Formats: sequence, structure tokens, C-alpha cells
Amino acid sequence: MINPPVIEVKNVSKVYSGVAAVDDVSFAIQAGEVVGFVGLNGAGKSTTINMLLGFLHPTQGEVYMFGEKVTLPNAATSHQKMGFATGDMALFDGMNGKQYLEFIARSYKTSTNSDTYKKLVAKFEPQLDKKINTLSRGNKQKIALIAAFMSDPEVVVLDEPSSGLDPLMQQHFLDLVREESEKGTTIFMSSHYLNEVIDICSRILLIKNGKLVKDIPTSELEIGAGKLVRVVTKAKVSPPKAAEHIEHEKRIDSYVLQFLYKDKALRLQEWLGSLPHLQDVTISDHTAEAAFEDLYDVEGATNV
Amino acid sequence: MFNLLRKTLYERRFFILGWSLGLAFLGFAMTSFFPSFSGGEIDGLLESLPPALQGLVGNLQDWKQLPGYIGSQVFDIRLPIFASILSILLAVGITVAEEDKGQLRTLVALPISRRKIIMAKWLSIVIICFIASLAVVIGVEIGVITIGEDLDQTVLVRLGLFTWLLITALATLIFAIGIASGKRGLTTGLGIIIAIGSFLLTTFAQSVSWLKDYEWLSFLHYFPAPEIAKGTVEWGNVIFYLTLIAVSLLVAFIFFPRRDIKAV
Repeated sequence: MINPPVIEVKNVSKVYSGVAAVDDVSFAIQAGEVVGFVGLNGAGKSTTINMLLGFLHPTQGEVYMFGEKVTLPNAATSHQKMGFATGDMALFDGMNGKQYLEFIARSYKTSTNSDTYKKLVAKFEPQLDKKINTLSRGNKQKIALIAAFMSDPEVVVLDEPSSGLDPLMQQHFLDLVREESEKGTTIFMSSHYLNEVIDICSRILLIKNGKLVKDIPTSELEIGAGKLVRVVTKAKVSPPKAAEHIEHEKRIDSYVLQFLYKDKALRLQEWLGSLPHLQDVTISDHTAEAAFEDLYDVEGATNV
Repeated sequence: MFNLLRKTLYERRFFILGWSLGLAFLGFAMTSFFPSFSGGEIDGLLESLPPALQGLVGNLQDWKQLPGYIGSQVFDIRLPIFASILSILLAVGITVAEEDKGQLRTLVALPISRRKIIMAKWLSIVIICFIASLAVVIGVEIGVITIGEDLDQTVLVRLGLFTWLLITALATLIFAIGIASGKRGLTTGLGIIIAIGSFLLTTFAQSVSWLKDYEWLSFLHYFPAPEIAKGTVEWGNVIFYLTLIAVSLLVAFIFFPRRDIKAV
């Protein structure tokens, strides 16, 4: 028997004043998956997450958590099995970190004496005795992440979770997600840190202008394969045959051609040698960011 | 729910302390002035006021007896101003101010139903209003002891309970507007119109003849403190405030669980 997805979004749209912030988005996430949700600012990531959590009602479509339809009045039922954190989470600033986490623990009917809590505190080393409104963004973020994971949730939804963390804490966060993934926790996270998404997610959802434009396993992302080539010439030139993700740009007195190249270096060398009036050449590694840019542009162009 | 109630009260501990001290001082200070008012020191001045203006300072006959004086000068004329400000600050702070800061979103993300959130927040209003009312009563009581007068304790019990009902009703109404709409401007604006409008309407209706016909629209019309101090409790007034509380809560329960939470 196939288990229903723990998160299921069916043809969901959210329209504000006639403008669709999320437009007919559908996806499903199975138990134990770690899924990254990627898109530019304003693409619709947070709005989608807000509908999953029952903060916003979809203008059309339906959201299911653990097989149950999420409505605004009943969303709290699914929250018992969920953790949630955002990069700019508004914590209750009249409390200190310890009081805040005790409040969260009582809300989940758990305790700050649990092993999970102790492990999280040991990992992130938050400043628990200071009032929350005196903490830096990174320290608030640590508390928000502990709160999201401390109840041993089945599903954790994270919206830009590591923004504000220093590199060491960011690494601790990635380790935590890996450990949770090994335990079978489902994690759905949006992030601007693409290396982070590629590092820990098994699947990536790409959203652009409110539409889901790509849903692919991370392994299918062509990261590190090939070189990003950028040439500046006086006259417009054609790219080599093996070029992918080609971009042309006309400047006042020159032309810029950029493409991804995965073929033999010798052929690229020959092609470069054949270029008339070559002004500049840049050859760089095809980074995660570049891979996403390619994916975003190409898919966006065909789907939006 | 009690977890959230406790948290809400804890976060407002300084608000509660500040308002309690302030209201207790109001009660104490006004009561300690009673000998001057009852001793006729300012009778001449007041009698020289035109009849229309005499209405603004309360019934002169009420001033001669301590219960009437307290009912008029503390609970009828001065307390409603402070109670109105307290109600607006409390209700706005507990609803739309938290939502604007994103804290309501954090709360709704927890396994606490929206109905429980309404109940916990409303109960915190009830408790804070009780503490505020008790503070006035304690202030008056200390004032009575200080000036060496005797006062039937049932007078203060009646006034205290009615004040509790008044502040709770006003705060619940503003709370309902805030939690149901999520709009700060609307909530604050309506709160000010209701609270300050009522105060002006009731105060000036005694002097401005055409306002008398509309005085029933005032929130304070149903809080005749001097009469309550003298022992007259009209149950219709109690029912009015209780009904208002019930209707406000009903509005909150209908709209809040069905509306979007503001993103920050």
C-alpha cells in the first residue's frame, strides 16, 4: 500500500488584488524526503509556505498535511507533528531564550528535559539567559531552529532557515538536517543559499513568478559539469556546437556571448582561435549558482 | 491554553504593574481630596458656575457624602478616561500590535488552535482589567483610611465590580475588532471613537441639550457610577455589558479562525 504524501499541494493559487502571488502550484512530498524550495525574492516561496502552515487560505486549490486537508481553523491539528522556523522569525521578545523554549515545549506537550532539546542546545549554544530583544539576529535564529526541532516533529518546514547564522552555525544546521533526514524526518525548506540546498536536499522545487517551473532530483542538476565561457567580441559570433544555455548581449561597441561548455577543451581552444576581433575571454567553473541561473532562466522562459 | 494565558500575562507584567500603580494613585489622590470638597471650601466657586458648566463637574449634592463623591469624582468623571486608554492600549497591544510584529504568526504556527488563542488572550484581558479595577478600589480604600472616614465596603465592591465589567466590555469590543480584522488603524481608530466619543457624549450631554437624545449611544451611559455608589444597580446595564462582551467574542470566534494572518 502506498502511503499518502505528508505534504500535498494541489493546484494552489493565492491572488492579491488580482495579482497571483502563487499560481496553480502542485507538488507532493513523501515522508522522509528533504526538499528544497528555490526561487528569487517574491517568487511565491513564503506565500506557499504560509498556506502550508494555515496562515493564509488559498484563493483556489487545496493543501493536505498528513493526508488531512488544511483549513485555517484546523491547521493547528497538523502543527502538533510539525516544526517551523523562518530566517526572520518574530520570537516573543518579552521573554528570555529559556522561557521562550519552555513555552514552546509546553505548547507541544514536551519538555526542555528531553534529550533532543539538550542535544540541540549543545549543538547551537544559544544565549538562553538573555532577553530575546537584546539578542542578535543570528542568536535569535538559533533559538528559532531549536524550537522547530525540539519536539521531534515528523515534518519540519523552514523558510530561509540559515540566514543570519555564521558559517560555523550554518554548518551545524546542515549537520542537523542530515541527522534528522537519517531519522526519517521530512524537511521542506526554502533557501537562498543554493549550495546549502544542493548539499542537503534530495529534490528541488523551483518557483518563478508564482509558478512551479521545475521539480527535479538534486542529482540531475548539472553542477560542476563543464565551464562557463564568456567572450567579448567586436562583431556578433555564433557559439560552438556544444554550447548550452546560450546568452547574447549587445553593447555599444561590442557583443557579449556567454554559454556553458562541456565538450573537449581542444575544440573550445580552436573555436576561440577562430573568433575575429576577440576582445576578452573568461572561463570559469560552473557553480551551483550558475546551474540555478541556467535552470531558472531556461525553465522560466518556457513555462511563464 | 493556560500556557498561552500565562505567557500573555507574563509579557505584560510591567504594563499591569504600571497601570495598577497609576490607577491606585488616582483612587487614593481623589479620595484624599474629599475633606476639601465636603467641607465647603470650593462650594462658592462651584455655585458660581453657570448651570450648564456645573454638569461637567458632576452633581454637587454627590460631593457632600463620601460614597457619592467617590462614585462621581473617581469612578464617573476621571476613571473612564484612564479606563478607555487602558482598554485601547491593552486590546491593540494584544492583537494587531502582535500581528504587525509577526508574533501572532509565530503563535499560530504552534499546535494551539485559533479558538484557544482567542480564549487565552481574552482571559488575559479579563484578568488585567480585574487587577486594574482592584487597584482603583485599593487606592480609594487607602485614601479613605488616610482621611479617617468610614465607608461601607459594599460601595467599593459594587463600584469595583462594575468598573471591571466596564473596562472588560470596552477592551473586549476593541479586542474583537483587532483580532477579527487584523487592521491596526481600524482597531485603534474605532477604539478611540468609541472610548473618547462616549466620554465626550456622556460628559457634554449634561450641558448640551441636543446631545441628551443621543446619550444612550455612549458606552458610559450604562455606567452610572454615582447611582451605583448609592446602592442602585440597574441589572439592565449589567446585561448590556455582558451582551456586548458575548457579541464581541462571537465576532472574534467567527472571523479570526477564517482570516489570513498578516505576513511581516
